[in-house]
Amino acid sequence: MNIESIDFQSFLDWDNSPFILFNNQSKILYLNNSAEILFGYVSKKELYDLALAYAPPSFGHKTTTLSLNYDSFTFYAITVGYENEEQISIRFYNTPRVKPATAIERDKLVNTNINLLLEANIALFKTKNTNSLQLLADHDLPSFKIDQNGFSKLLRKTLDAFRSSDSIRITLKLLVGEHVIISGKKKAIVQLAIEANGRYSDTDEEIKSLAMQSHISSLLKENSIKLEIPLIQ
Amino acid sequence: MEQFFTSSEQVQNIIKGFNLTKTLFVSSIIIGEPNIGKKSLARYLFPKAPLVSGENQEEVEKLLQEVDELIITDFEKLSNQESLNLDNKRIIATANYMGNQQTIDNLFAFIYTLPSLKERPDDTKHIRDLFIKEAESTLMLTENDFSIADIPINLSNNSKTLKKTIYTYLMKYSMDDKDIQEAIYNYILQNLNGNNEYKEHLGLYEKPLIEAGLKKYGSQLQLSQVLGINRNTLRKKIHEHRID
Repeated sequence: MNIESIDFQSFLDWDNSPFILFNNQSKILYLNNSAEILFGYVSKKELYDLALAYAPPSFGHKTTTLSLNYDSFTFYAITVGYENEEQISIRFYNTPRVKPATAIERDKLVNTNINLLLEANIALFKTKNTNSLQLLADHDLPSFKIDQNGFSKLLRKTLDAFRSSDSIRITLKLLVGEHVIISGKKKAIVQLAIEANGRYSDTDEEIKSLAMQSHISSLLKENSIKLEIPLIQ
Repeated sequence: MEQFFTSSEQVQNIIKGFNLTKTLFVSSIIIGEPNIGKKSLARYLFPKAPLVSGENQEEVEKLLQEVDELIITDFEKLSNQESLNLDNKRIIATANYMGNQQTIDNLFAFIYTLPSLKERPDDTKHIRDLFIKEAESTLMLTENDFSIADIPINLSNNSKTLKKTIYTYLMKYSMDDKDIQEAIYNYILQNLNGNNEYKEHLGLYEKPLIEAGLKKYGSQLQLSQVLGINRNTLRKKIHEHRID
């Protein structure tokens, strides 16, 4: 069979690992779907510079193991390759997500409008703090199954970390094109991001553990906390 | 339906939080000093929910098995807090104090702090007006009988002392001479012992007599004429009773 007649592009398009092909002027010649999402979090220049830095000394392909982190993306290795002077490619290897040890307790999950829980937690926050707070929520999000009590505790702790922060921005949105596998099924992801000029980190461990119990992945940074919630229906 | 009046932004946010989660199965607790309206607030928000006091531990445990919406008052009095399972239920608890913070933190999704009356001056004024109206009708007084501004405000035990002070104050305006005599009678009955009691208790009569007389007539000279006693006697009595 002549494999040259096979069009490989769609396989690459839907590869879960980001793949980018640059020309020697750092212009993007091709990128797959997963790389498109990655560009939401990192600049073209940064990735091009990375490709140059890890390029093999002469024509060919080189895989380097390194730990890379862009927002919720974590990679454990990259392969950089070039076969001529005009094009250079870079491919990122996703670090496998740690599977939560606890199974989802289905009987605790109740169909919920997440905006209600968020608004109620903001009201609770406002009884204790006077900081200015900006909320950008997607009110078209469908209701989905949440352990309401557990999730509320997580929200309370998360907001509490911003108790003396200024200009708190809260955004709630559906992460387009990103999914998580739960019990063998692909689920969309809702992201709740809280950002400010700074925050307390005294309860970070509790936040992580509460998030894990609810199968939510938590990203805790110096100025922000992001919760990625599986949309289970 | 029972109304819950408040103009405090903090309390309005608490009500907002409860209204948003009214249909959800979350556990909430309202913590605050005694007699500031925690139970009234819970009742106002959930008029149909069964209500049980934490003093009655067995009843709390029984109801937690049977119902999925419950108000638990005096939560601090429950000694088995750690063993309670409040998941997947709509629980509204009230407590006078937090107790073990870790336990409360684990049990409840929403932990609200209701400010005391001292921190809610507008609400206090509203509650005070309600109490005064109530006392007016109970004691059959009209507003011409007294001056509202003169009624002292005592918030040392929140609404309880606020109410008591109003009733004690207004009671004095509803008394006739017979009531006053009876009040003095009861007082003397309890306190009479010793060997100089005639003089000791004379102040009950003389002090208010002279004080009111001075306020009404201004000068000691005029008052001595009204009372029909010698000016020097009056002066001596003013000194005895330490009247300024």
